[in-house]
Amino acid sequence: MTSPPLGAKLTPFGVRLKRPVLALLVALLAACEVDEAPLSTPDRGIAPDVVPAAPTLRRLTETQYANTVRALLGDDVVLPASLEPDAEEGGLLSLGAATASVSSLGVERYEDAALLLAGQVADEPARLATVVPCTPTAADDIVCAETFVRTFGLRAWRRPLTDAEVTRLVAVVTLTGGEAGSFNEGVRYGLAAMFQSPHFVYRREHGVADPADPALRILTDYELATRLAYLLWAEPPDDALLAAAAAGTLTASDDGLRAEADRLLADARARAGVRALFTELFALYALDDLAKDPTVFTHASAELGPAAREETLRVVEDLVFDNPTDFRDLLTTQTTFVDPRLAALYRVPAPDPAGFGEVTLDASDGRRGLLGQASFLMLNAHATRTSATLRGLFVRKTLLCQTILPPPADVDTSIPEADSTSPTLRERLQTHLEDPTCASCHQLTDPIGLGLENFDGVGRWRDEENGSVIDASGTLGRTDFADAWDLGAAVRDAEDLGPCFTAHLYRYAMGHAVDPGEEAHVAWIAAGFAESGYDWRALLMDLVMSPAFRRAGALDE
Amino acid sequence: MSRFLRDSRTGLLRPRGLVPGRTSARPTHTRHPNGLDRRGFLRGVVRGSLVTLALPWLEIFAGRRAHANTCDNGFPKRFVLWFWGNGNRPETWTPTGEGAGYTLSEALTPLAAFQDRLTVCSGYSAKVDNISPHWSGAAGILTGQQIQGDDDNWTMASPTIDQVIAETIGGGTAYASMQVGVQSDEVLSFSGPNAPNYGETDPTVLYQRLFGDGFREPGSDIPPDPSLGYRRRVLDAVMEDVRSLQGELGAADRIRLEQHLDSIASLEDRLRTLQEDPPDLAACMRADAPDESYPDIDGRMQVQAIHAAMAELVAMSLACDQTRVVALQITRPLNNNLFPAATDGHHNLTHNEGGDQPEVNAIATYLMGCFADFLAALDGVPEGDGTLLDNTVVLACSETSEGKTHSLDEMPVLLAGGGCGSLVAGHHIRSYTQENVGKVMVSVLRALDVNVATWGAGEAEVSDGVTELEA
Repeated sequence: MTSPPLGAKLTPFGVRLKRPVLALLVALLAACEVDEAPLSTPDRGIAPDVVPAAPTLRRLTETQYANTVRALLGDDVVLPASLEPDAEEGGLLSLGAATASVSSLGVERYEDAALLLAGQVADEPARLATVVPCTPTAADDIVCAETFVRTFGLRAWRRPLTDAEVTRLVAVVTLTGGEAGSFNEGVRYGLAAMFQSPHFVYRREHGVADPADPALRILTDYELATRLAYLLWAEPPDDALLAAAAAGTLTASDDGLRAEADRLLADARARAGVRALFTELFALYALDDLAKDPTVFTHASAELGPAAREETLRVVEDLVFDNPTDFRDLLTTQTTFVDPRLAALYRVPAPDPAGFGEVTLDASDGRRGLLGQASFLMLNAHATRTSATLRGLFVRKTLLCQTILPPPADVDTSIPEADSTSPTLRERLQTHLEDPTCASCHQLTDPIGLGLENFDGVGRWRDEENGSVIDASGTLGRTDFADAWDLGAAVRDAEDLGPCFTAHLYRYAMGHAVDPGEEAHVAWIAAGFAESGYDWRALLMDLVMSPAFRRAGALDE
Repeated sequence: MSRFLRDSRTGLLRPRGLVPGRTSARPTHTRHPNGLDRRGFLRGVVRGSLVTLALPWLEIFAGRRAHANTCDNGFPKRFVLWFWGNGNRPETWTPTGEGAGYTLSEALTPLAAFQDRLTVCSGYSAKVDNISPHWSGAAGILTGQQIQGDDDNWTMASPTIDQVIAETIGGGTAYASMQVGVQSDEVLSFSGPNAPNYGETDPTVLYQRLFGDGFREPGSDIPPDPSLGYRRRVLDAVMEDVRSLQGELGAADRIRLEQHLDSIASLEDRLRTLQEDPPDLAACMRADAPDESYPDIDGRMQVQAIHAAMAELVAMSLACDQTRVVALQITRPLNNNLFPAATDGHHNLTHNEGGDQPEVNAIATYLMGCFADFLAALDGVPEGDGTLLDNTVVLACSETSEGKTHSLDEMPVLLAGGGCGSLVAGHHIRSYTQENVGKVMVSVLRALDVNVATWGAGEAEVSDGVTELEA
C-alpha cells in the first residue's frame, strides 16, 4: 500500500478535491473535475486522533419510529399511516433527521400517532398487561401509575426517567384517570405523553463532559446503547442491552462494548439494521412511488418497485450474513433473488411461484450485480425513458463519493429527439460531450450510463433502440468496458468504492457529515475495511469500537 | 382614499385607525397565547452554526386587533398561495392588452370566468443569482432571497411569504397557517431555514383533521369532547419535556426544539379553539367527505380530481375561519409528473420537448384549469354581498418562467380575489423593465395589512410595491 500523493486531501467522501473555496470558483468555469487516478488506501497503523463533531439531537426516522413502536408494543401493532416526512440531506435521511425541525403538521401527526398507539394499549387487555405491570386499586392509583411510568418509560425513552419526569407523567395518568373514572384512560393519556415527548421522538447523544478534556464529551452508557441498537438493528435497545447499560458495562471496557456489539450482530435483527442503511443509501424508499408510464414500459406496475427493492436488500443480506464475502461483490454478484414479476422482467425462470427465490445469472443474461438490478435501473431513469446521466451520477456520487455539480441554471439542457442520424441515446447525448459547458461534468456521468443502455427505464434488457444496435462500451477511469457486465467489475475494482462505503456508514451512524477533525479517522477505518477483505460486519465492528463512536465534540454555543 | 397613513415617526405606512406603539402588537419577546410571535421565527441555523436571518424588517402594526386585517364587510381577509412547479411558457402565457379588459392568453383561457377578478402581472424578474435550477427561483419568488446551501442541500434563508403573512393575520384561528399538497407533501412553505412546513396530500386525512370528529358547526349544542382537555394536559407535559431538554443542548438544537415547541403550542391552541363555541359564520358547515382514494389512471396521478377535493376542503375551512392563510401546492418544482396524454414527465418535457412545446403548453393550460377549479371553490362560498373569493388574496406563482432554461425573467404571477378591494382586480400589469417581482410581493403584503419596509435581501431587496396594483 502507498500513501496518498502529496497535496491530496481526503474529503469526507474519500475523494480528493481542490480546496473547497477554490472548487466553487472552478465550478463556474469547468464545473466538474474528478481525478481519475485511483485512490490509495493509507497504511492502517494506529488510529489517528479524532476530533468529533458537536453532538446533535437526532429525530427517529420513519423506519426507526415504526421499528421502535413494534419493539415496544409487538409486531402486530397498527402503525400510524403518516409521520413528519424524513428530510434527505447529503443522500441520507439520517443526516436530515439531525437538522430538520418538526413542522406544525408533523406535531399533529405525532399526536395522531401517539393516540393511535396508546389506544391499542388502553383498549386491548392483552397488550395492556405487557405495559402496565400492576393492578390498580383505584382510577387514580398513584403507586401503580408510578410503576407503569418507570418501567415503560425506561423502554420507551431508552433510559431511566428522572424523578421530575416521573412526577410529570404520573400527574397526567392519575389526574386523567381520576377525572375519567378509569385507570386505563389515565394510561392512555400517559402513553400519549410518552410517545409525543422529545425524549421518545429524538435520540440524545450529547454525553457528559470529559473530565480529562473539556473539548470532548463521552456518551453515557444509555446513549451508547441506543446509538448501537439503532445502528445495528434500526430499533431501540432490548432489555439485555438496557441491563448492560445500567451495569455500566458499555463504557467500562472495550470488551464490554464488544460483547454487546457481537451479540447484536449475531442476532437476526441485525438484518433489519443493514436493510435500513441500504434503503437510505440507495434511496430504495422511493421505489414505492415511482412514476413509470405503463404504456411505454409494459412491465411497470405499482408492485414492481417494492419487489425490486426486496431483491436488492436480499442481495445485500446475502453478502453480509448468509454468504459473507468481499462486500464489493455487490457490483458483480451473479446471485440474486427474484419473484415471478422480476423473473419475467429479467427473462429468467421464476424459482418460486409464490415469492422470492434465488437465481444465478450468467453472461447470457447480460446483467449482474447492483447495476443490473431493477431497483437501481428504475430509480435512475425517467418515467418514459432511460437516463445515462442519472445512472452515471449514481455511480459517481453514491458509489464513489465524487462530487458532480448540477447543470448551470440558465442553459438549455434539452436532448435532441431520436431520428435516423441519432437513433440511440449515445448519438443524442453527443452535445453533452461536445459543448465544453456540458462536457466537464457529463464526460464523467454519461459514459457510465451509456454502458447501461441495454436496460430500459424499468431494467428490461434490450439489444436495440429505434432499430439500431446499442453500443454499451466505454471507459471508467483507466478501465475499458465492453458492456454492463464488464462495467460492474470496473466499478467493483474502483479504489474509491471501499472508502466511499465507509464514509457513508460513518455518516449514517453518527448523523452528521464527516467533520475535518474526523477525516483521518474515517480513512483509517476504511483502511481496516480493505484489510479485512471488505467484510461488512468487520467494518461495523471497527466503527463501533472506534473512539469516534463513543464520543462527541463540545456543544455548539 | 388610501387605506394607509404614513406614520410621521417611523416613515412607514400603517393602516388607518391604528396608532403604533399603543394599540399595535409590535414584535415583543412575550409569548402570545398561540405561540406564534416568538422571536424564534427570526433566527435560524444552518449545519450547526447560528445565522442571523436577513429577514424583511417587519413593522407589524395591525397584529391581531379585532378590527385589523378585516374587510369593511366584517369578514376576515385571507391569503392563499397557490403554487405550481416547472413554470410556464411566456409565449403562450402573457395576455395581450393591458389594464382592464386585457385579452387572455392561450394558457389562461380556463380562467375566463374569473377575468374580472384576475390580475396578471407579467414581465417581472426574480433578482437572485440563478445558482440552483428551480430552487433559486423558488426562494427568489417566495422569500426574495437566495437559497441557503447548494443544489443538493438547500433550504430557504428566511420564512416564505405565507409564513410572513401568517405572523400578522394568522392568529386566533385553529391553524395559524395551513399547508396542502397534491402531487407532493414538500410544499414550499418554510418558517425559517431547515424548518419546512409539510403539506397534507391525502384528502381523506385532511377532511378528518378539519371536519372529523371534533368539528362542530356554528350553533351546535353538542358539548365539546372531554378528551380535548386530556389532550391539552398531555401537550402541557410534553412542552415541559421540551423545555427541560432544551437546556441540555447546543445552540442549533435549542432552536430546532424552539420550532418544535411552537408547533406544539399551536396544536394546543387548536384544541382550545375546539373547546370554545365555533364562530358564528353563516356559510360554515361540515364539508362533504372526499372520495376515499384516487387511484392512478394509466400510471397517471389524478391531479385535477385530488386538487378539486382539496380545494373544496380549503374553501370550507376558510369559510369556517379555521385558518386564514393557506399554502396549496399542486405540483412541486422539478416534478416529473405524468399528466394525462403526456408522453413524458413534466420536467423532462420542459427540457426535451422540441418545437413550440405543445405538451408543455397543454400542461400549463391543464394547471390553469385546476386553478380555475380552486377559484370556483372559493367563489362558491357566499360571504356578505359577495363571496369568499372576494375577501381573499390568492397569489398563484411558480419557481421559473421558461422551464427549459430555468429563466427568472417573465415570472408568472397571478392575483385573484383582491382581498376585498385591497388590490386592483381584473388588470394586466406589464413591466417593460424587468422590475423586481418582489415589488408585487410588497403590494400583496400591504394588501394584507402586513406593512413591510423592505422585502428580500441583496440585489432582490425592494421597498416599493407596484403602484398600478395597489387599490
